[in-house]
Amino acid sequence: MASIEFRGVTKRYGGNVAVDDATFRIEDNEFFCLFGPPLCGKSTILRLILGLEAPDAGEILIGDRPAAGIGPAERNVAMVFQNLALFPHMTARDNVAFPLVERGRPKAEIEAKVAEAANKLHMTHILGKLPGQLSGGERQRVAIARALVRDPVAFLMDDPISALDARLREETRVELKRIQREAGHTLVYVTHDQEEAMSVADRMAIIEAGRIRQIGTPVAIYDDPASDYVAGLLGAPEINLMPLAGVRTADGLVTLDAPPPRGAARLGIRPEDLTLVPGEAGTITDVEPLGGYTVVTVAADGGPDTRLMLRGQPQVARGARTGVALGAAPFFFDEAGARV
Amino acid sequence: MSSIALEGVVKRFGDFTALQEMDLTIRDGEFMALLGPSGCGKSTTMNVIAGMEDPSEGRVRFGERDVTDVPMSRRGVGFVFQNYAIFTHMSVRANLAYGPRMHGASRSEVDRRVTEMARFLDLEDILDRPSAGLSVNILQRIAIGRSAILEPAIFLLDEPLSNVDAAFRAVMRRELKALQRKFEQTMVYVTHDQLEAMTMADRIAVMDHGVLHQVGTPLEVYNAPANLFVAQFLGSPGMNLLPGRLDGEAVELEGGGRIALTGAEARAAAGAPGCDVVYGFRPEEARLSAEGLTRPVEVIERIGARTILHLSGGTKAVFGNDVEAAERAPVTLAPAPGTASLFDAASGARLGA
Repeated sequence: MASIEFRGVTKRYGGNVAVDDATFRIEDNEFFCLFGPPLCGKSTILRLILGLEAPDAGEILIGDRPAAGIGPAERNVAMVFQNLALFPHMTARDNVAFPLVERGRPKAEIEAKVAEAANKLHMTHILGKLPGQLSGGERQRVAIARALVRDPVAFLMDDPISALDARLREETRVELKRIQREAGHTLVYVTHDQEEAMSVADRMAIIEAGRIRQIGTPVAIYDDPASDYVAGLLGAPEINLMPLAGVRTADGLVTLDAPPPRGAARLGIRPEDLTLVPGEAGTITDVEPLGGYTVVTVAADGGPDTRLMLRGQPQVARGARTGVALGAAPFFFDEAGARV
Repeated sequence: MSSIALEGVVKRFGDFTALQEMDLTIRDGEFMALLGPSGCGKSTTMNVIAGMEDPSEGRVRFGERDVTDVPMSRRGVGFVFQNYAIFTHMSVRANLAYGPRMHGASRSEVDRRVTEMARFLDLEDILDRPSAGLSVNILQRIAIGRSAILEPAIFLLDEPLSNVDAAFRAVMRRELKALQRKFEQTMVYVTHDQLEAMTMADRIAVMDHGVLHQVGTPLEVYNAPANLFVAQFLGSPGMNLLPGRLDGEAVELEGGGRIALTGAEARAAAGAPGCDVVYGFRPEEARLSAEGLTRPVEVIERIGARTILHLSGGTKAVFGNDVEAAERAPVTLAPAPGTASLFDAASGARLGA
């Protein structure tokens, strides 16, 4: 159980900067998510924590002690792989015991540690089963229990559930959150799925091209993004980013209550913060019923698509003329994309 | 006419029955999604329509014409597969032009169609680039263009977006829908992704284990699932399904709780007094209520605009972010009136259907 801290860490591969001057601190027992598009550097950060790579500049601290010079084995950080790497012919109990058996620990100690981990993760009842007889979430528990018996200071997971189908991913991510709370360990988690990141993380770091763009709780980042880039990464459908012309968007679709702040060039409006009102500002070009929600696309003549996410199943007709009104305060961004 | 009718179609592979006696009519110009988990028979259905597989029994008609014995090459359907099929040694332009040229279109006609399709699919800037080296996203877009350019009356797509990345998938969903609106083909779209089916299809055919469970508009299937399979397959998160027993105009839930039935639910219940049932309601239709299902909240997930409460026992409820709830504290929920479904616990079929 330990905190993990990066101080000005840079990692280059040839001329490529994979991690660029990264500074952040992951607290003890925190579920911390690294989120960004493919190749943004999130997996490199995991490799740096594991000790598989050394930083070119800066310092990494694990449990407040410098990690430089400490090899991967001595760091005692447990990596849980995407395929979980369970032994299919061994029971859950034998899988969990494996790292201790391999190290030749005494039988009594092995039994006690397996029982303790199983108890913590509420999986005592499945210890006698083979991995093939377990659900996806149960297999995750076995893999984590197997790491837990080694008493690691932290767990790392690299996109562990991306191979599962959508329904299973939805269930497993909640399960992972429960497991992490029960295990009570620092967990560093890499994903490229924004829903998953928002679901599991206590805090998350948004990474773009090796640079950390924002760190905070998912709620804080979603509600208070530092830039249009960050705002665009979270939320489905994506945030509407609209150029401003005075108190209106350039296409005339949305009118503000008050003049925009100085320096504002663009407006960012979440689809759930827009409503349909009587009017003639645009045309409904698409209606996508999702059951619990309906995504409506509106475009002013010649203007870009603006998306609204409405609750329920409103009766809305494609081709109808409509107005669009703001239901919450929008975000303003300057020319460079920073929040104003 | 390019309607499609499957009449009593059965497909067996040796002892394995991939399709069980299937009747399905797809209307002229309709966008039909065949939706189900892997192995449900949706691709086999498409292959039978295409003529890649012969049905073991039954007939296939396009309009009035029986095409059961017509070979694939003469059925005149367009295809797009999961793995883009394009000539990587050719330019984007040559790939798009290939079909019309093979069909003997004049040079000016080929040029006109290529220009139109490239504009439609946003390929204009890369028309003269070699295809090799383009991203998977773009290659799949070219593959769609290659097929669509022939303006087939029937267009079959088998999981065309499963290899493209999530952000691009949303773009392609809208493009495919626009394509179908423009060319008005009869579109048959195979997918396991309910979001694709819900957002693009005029109607959805839900399949599992070779059985066609329900055909309806996205909202018909979502709001009134014909059975437990359809109920649990559609929706994100899935429908809450709670076992219980009918008691007058209420359900006594296993594990405690009583939910009063109204309207159509009550009428459905009246026909089956004392029946063991599964009471289903959508997480999005849950409301905080004075009575209903009381359970402690185990996990609260806030995902952008939605807050999902996970109650002990597995019940889920979706709210806006203004919901007042705390982890470990109990809440009492009931679905909005008229939105619940009742299923016969023994057969799984919807009651009152």
